[in-house]
Amino acid sequence: MKHQRWLPWVFLAPTALGMGLFTLIPIVASIVLAFFQWDIITPPKFVGFANFATVATDSTVQVSFLNTIVFVIVAVALQLGISLGLAVLLTEKLPNWLRSFFRSAFFFPLVLSAASVSVFMKYLFNEKFGVVNWLLSLINVPAVPWLTSPAGSAVVIILVYVWQNFGFSFLLFLGGLASIPTETYEAASLDGATGWRKLVQITLPLLSPTTLVASVMAIISALQVFDQPYVLTGGGPGDSTRSAVMVIFETAFQRLEFGQGAALGVILTIIIMLITALQFRLSKRFVFYQ
Amino acid sequence: MALTQGDALAITRRAALGALGAGVVGATVASWPRLTGTDIPGRGDNSLSIVIQGTKADASARQKLVADFNKVHPDIRIKVQAIQSVDWKDFFVKLLTMVAAGQSPDLVYVATEGTQLFAERLAEPLDSYVQRDAAELKEYFEDVHPSLVEAMMYKGSLYQLPMDWNAANMYFNTSALAKAGLQMPADDWTHLDFRTMLSSLKQANGSDFTPYYWTNRLFGGVVPWLYINDTSVLKETKAPGGRWLWDSFYQNDPSSKMRTGGALWEAPNALDPRVEESFDFLRGLVKDGLGVRPEEGGGNTLVGLFASGRIGTTPAGGYWVEGLHEAGMTQDQYDVAFFPKWRTQRHQFGTAGYAIMKTAKDKDAAWEFVKWAASKPAMETQFALPTTTPTRRSMVNEALYAGKGPKHWKVFYDTLDKFPSTGPIPAPPQQAAVETALIKNVSLAVSGDQAQLKSALQSLQRDLEQALGGK
Repeated sequence: MKHQRWLPWVFLAPTALGMGLFTLIPIVASIVLAFFQWDIITPPKFVGFANFATVATDSTVQVSFLNTIVFVIVAVALQLGISLGLAVLLTEKLPNWLRSFFRSAFFFPLVLSAASVSVFMKYLFNEKFGVVNWLLSLINVPAVPWLTSPAGSAVVIILVYVWQNFGFSFLLFLGGLASIPTETYEAASLDGATGWRKLVQITLPLLSPTTLVASVMAIISALQVFDQPYVLTGGGPGDSTRSAVMVIFETAFQRLEFGQGAALGVILTIIIMLITALQFRLSKRFVFYQ
Repeated sequence: MALTQGDALAITRRAALGALGAGVVGATVASWPRLTGTDIPGRGDNSLSIVIQGTKADASARQKLVADFNKVHPDIRIKVQAIQSVDWKDFFVKLLTMVAAGQSPDLVYVATEGTQLFAERLAEPLDSYVQRDAAELKEYFEDVHPSLVEAMMYKGSLYQLPMDWNAANMYFNTSALAKAGLQMPADDWTHLDFRTMLSSLKQANGSDFTPYYWTNRLFGGVVPWLYINDTSVLKETKAPGGRWLWDSFYQNDPSSKMRTGGALWEAPNALDPRVEESFDFLRGLVKDGLGVRPEEGGGNTLVGLFASGRIGTTPAGGYWVEGLHEAGMTQDQYDVAFFPKWRTQRHQFGTAGYAIMKTAKDKDAAWEFVKWAASKPAMETQFALPTTTPTRRSMVNEALYAGKGPKHWKVFYDTLDKFPSTGPIPAPPQQAAVETALIKNVSLAVSGDQAQLKSALQSLQRDLEQALGGK
């Protein structure tokens, strides 16, 4: 019918409008802004690639991007490892109510505000008055400067981030595990396969599509880490926990170099796109579809 | 004919689209004030919009002030909007975002941290208004210390009338002092006396006790220790000018001749040997367990920790009195002293007042509010509790601290009178970047060995150069 031609567009319009207004236009504006010097107050001035040249030689930027890469490697490995491990354990024979309880408990941190969690954790990990050091003191472990030493800060930020985010990967893995046919395990058992062998030769390969999705999402999210280092350590001590997004925020909103901030945003976006593209390319070799 | 349930649920596509359209129109009409920005305080009418740092409750608390103002100026409508923020740096970020979005307020209550940022870019100088209404303002300036006024000057022009202020004095837990057999220190005590006191406090109060707690920020962190050692992380020079004000209002003040057009911080100074000396002193306190490694911020936890008797001493200003009272501390459980002496006894302070924005719709009306807010009755309404220190000397009195303490409350204003070189927080127009640079390097500087200290100061110097390079 005639009016059916435009009907899909009507239904798509709200989403398209939202995407255009709040995603597409800001992306284009950020890319354009990266070529201007702008401090909010005075009119923007075109500077070509100068912003990219400036941020590329900035030692704080270099350190913060390196920190972010190290953070992504450790945090994503932990997040995926823990969530996969817990998902596998939870598919074992457990009463339904206990399974439901753990499923909710593991997912719960994800719905909390990262900033609120970080404020709370800041109290827990305070060197002098925190509960964590008090507990350690009960077993004669001396006070650890969790938030005032480079190593301690990095550990706390990774722990807090992983604790708050593993729930999402956990749910993905739980869904993935449920889709593996039980007959495959039964056949393997008849052939004498043990638990470990089943995990390595059946579960992990058949779970690889889920692992790909979980790792892509975890890496993209970890590359944008901001709340935890911003609230817990302010990026310190020194630059030891400064992340890429923190440096974007500071460049734009504290130093009022919005052009440089936008240039950093463009660089980070390109890095995210490259890593994601690499993951999908590698997936052709490592991901098995049933 | 009666409809079956199936008929009732069968909604035609036409009806669905109609309902959708009606919904969109309805939602647009309902949110029209938000979409057009007319719900923003001061927009859509001629109200003066005032932005303050704080919560909605803080904005409501100023309604009495607004109501009193409207009794005098019924023709000037006022709307107060509070911006909630972690600190001043965060406040300025949010305010600048408002300005960029075309929602610039008419007046902003700004502290020293933002005075020069506003003076350089956003605020209107008050010089012509002050000169015009000199007779009315004579009484105000007679009551306010010139150091506070000078802190509001930038390159010879005055940008705000200071309303409240706080110096970094030293608070003591008197129970902890008594346990160690110590008395409150003398006015001219030194940094070495301070260290000796901390050692005694530590010995007497056990391992769970922190003799000295300090925070990592621009106010009350490392800066007071730099000021008493006659140095700072930024080179401080004085701008010429300002005689129009000093010769008009402070000609009889003994410090009038030393007054200038305001402080300038245009170059980093982190490699000054005295800076290293001050940092090294703090490093020694941390190393010997006399002071904590400072975390960023940390101010929120401080009142509770101090009130619970777990901290011996910490730098803070008059703003702490009400908080400690609410936390259950009686006036004899704590006291306040001057910061110790080193090469000088120059203290650090911060002050705040209303700045008129260059973009204000009606600057004359805005000035009327500023002038009225600085009057004694208005300030008594605004600063009825010791949550800060009023800039008017006559208001810092027995009555303000009655039942709340501390015993030596006179220390607050005496800080200005006894040490006229006492100066503002080093806050150039690039304050946010300067504070970030300082915070990020302080913790490393005081928590390692001598080599780490030197390396942190070199890093601080580089970061400050970068911060000051881009305005």
